[in-house]
Amino acid sequence: MTAPCRDACCSATPRVTVSDLFERGFRRNRAAPLPILGAELSDTEGNTARFSLAIADERIVDANFRASSCATLIAYCEFIAELVPGARLEIVTALTAADLVEAVPGVPALKRPRAVLAVAAFRAALAKANERQMQTEVAS
Amino acid sequence: MKVAYIFATQRHNVSYVLAKMILPQLEENRHGVDVVGMFFFEDNNYVLVDGNPIGARLHKVAKDKGILLMGCDQCCYEREIADKLFPGVPIGCFPDLYKALSGNMPDQVITL
Repeated sequence: MTAPCRDACCSATPRVTVSDLFERGFRRNRAAPLPILGAELSDTEGNTARFSLAIADERIVDANFRASSCATLIAYCEFIAELVPGARLEIVTALTAADLVEAVPGVPALKRPRAVLAVAAFRAALAKANERQMQTEVAS
Repeated sequence: MKVAYIFATQRHNVSYVLAKMILPQLEENRHGVDVVGMFFFEDNNYVLVDGNPIGARLHKVAKDKGILLMGCDQCCYEREIADKLFPGVPIGCFPDLYKALSGNMPDQVITL
C-alpha cells in the first residue's frame, strides 16, 4: 500500500508545506506553555525558540513552542509539535535537523539552519522532561 | 541618491513599471538614481522565479550593479516558489531586508 498523497492535488489536510505549517504554527506559537518548559535557545541571527511538553507514561502527550516570528522557524517547530505527540521520549531524541530539512520540502538553503535551532530547542525540552522523569522515579 | 523599491501592490507593477520603465532604464544606465535594493510582496515574487524572462534581465542587472533582490518569505512559501528563485536571491522578512540593506542604506524607499 502506498502512502496517501499529501499534495494540493488531493486536497489532503493537514498539508506538510512550509506555508501550511506556518499557518498552524502561528496559532500554536501563541498558546500557553505546557508543564515541562525547555530552555529558550537562540541562533546567531537573533531568532529564539523554546518548546514545552506534556508527558504521561514516558510518552509525549502534547507539544507547544514559542519561537521568533520567522516563517521558516515556526514551520519547523510546528512540524516537530505535530510529529511527536504519542511518541516515547527515547525515540524522539533521535530526531535531527537533517531529518527535519528532509521532511519539510521547499525551504531554500539559506533558511535551512533554522532546523538546527528548532531541533536544539526541542531537545532542550526533552532534557527537561527526562530530568523530571528521573526526579519522579527517585521520589517514588 | 540611493533608493530601494518595494513592490507591494500587484496590478501592473512588475510587467509595466518594472519591466518597461525601471529595468530598461537600469540596463541603459539612465535611471537617475542608484537602486540598492528591491523587495517583492505577494504575486510580484513570481518575477524572481528562475527562468522568468523579466526576472532574468533583472537578475543580470542586479548582479552587475550590486542591487539586492529579496522575496517576501511568507509570500514565496505560500506560492511554493521559495526554493525556485534565481540563484543567490534570498527570501526574508523585514529584519532580513533591513539587515541586508544596512551596509548600503537607501536615502528613499519607494513603495510601488
